[in-house]
Amino acid sequence: MTEALYELGLRTGIHALMNSAWGWPTVESLHFLGLSMLIGAVGLFDLRMLGLARGIPMGALHRMIPWGIGGYVLNVTTGILFVTSAPDQYLYNPAFQIKLALMVLAGLNVLFFYRFVFARVSASAAEAEAPRSAKAAAAISLACWIGVVVCGRLITYYRPPYHWCWWC
Amino acid sequence: MQYLAWVEGTGFSIWMRESGPAFFSSLIFHALGMAFLVGAHLATDLRVLGVAPGVPLSLMRRFRPVSSVGLAVSVASGILLLVAYPAKALTNPLFYLKLLAALAALLVGRALYRGIMQDPTHDLGRTQVRARALAAVSIALWIVTITSGRFLAYTYNVLMATDPR
Repeated sequence: MTEALYELGLRTGIHALMNSAWGWPTVESLHFLGLSMLIGAVGLFDLRMLGLARGIPMGALHRMIPWGIGGYVLNVTTGILFVTSAPDQYLYNPAFQIKLALMVLAGLNVLFFYRFVFARVSASAAEAEAPRSAKAAAAISLACWIGVVVCGRLITYYRPPYHWCWWC
Repeated sequence: MQYLAWVEGTGFSIWMRESGPAFFSSLIFHALGMAFLVGAHLATDLRVLGVAPGVPLSLMRRFRPVSSVGLAVSVASGILLLVAYPAKALTNPLFYLKLLAALAALLVGRALYRGIMQDPTHDLGRTQVRARALAAVSIALWIVTITSGRFLAYTYNVLMATDPR
């Protein structure tokens, strides 16, 4: 799997881009900007559901979410650039594996939220307290994204041996 | 340089450098503090620029604790990272650009907070050109802060005052 990704990086020019003079730090800066956008939009919406900033209508605040999705897309894109450029630094790395698991959990939480909770939240009054299910989804969302940032920073802490990847 | 070498020789600085948990928890808190600080400011700027127009602008001030806590965490963890490698940052001009950009961004944020956001007559509808210009400048300054911060890891000439490379 690492070889395939590495080949892909070479063929698509990603490897050359990332190893150009300021390629890696520039893409890292975009990754940090993207995570700030995600926390700024999704994190504030979660905090409102948890009871902060009552008085702001949750339906109106939700209009900020596309910017969080923009940050997410930016970070998946830049993340793919990192992983294809140095696959062996990521695939075997427990911090990266846990990060992906948390992203899957956050994704499932998003599906649950929009399927079962969102309609009630978006229709509620400005001063309204979010339903318990919304608070649970908000807490899971915040915990997941904080965990994703923590694991992201820990990727550089672990320099793991190859056999640590159980699914490669 | 002599003073920096003294800092590097203190037990606390050595521990910050050599203990994985100490150094990496500071890095983690610096990233998390940034996420909430910059995130809250970006959301406010976007609202001033017309995103989520149904959110009463003055009520965005209720998210102030998010940016305050983010700022406190960023500054505290930043000081710890500075104690670990004082010369690495202080001999790099980019570090001062980062500080200036962050300070300017905070001042612009305060101008919005104390200005247009204080007055509920601006709650709904299009904001004034001046306020929108400030919001755009704020976004640009945060991008400069983040980018110069990230480049600090790649552009230093001196890692340690006591062991110049």
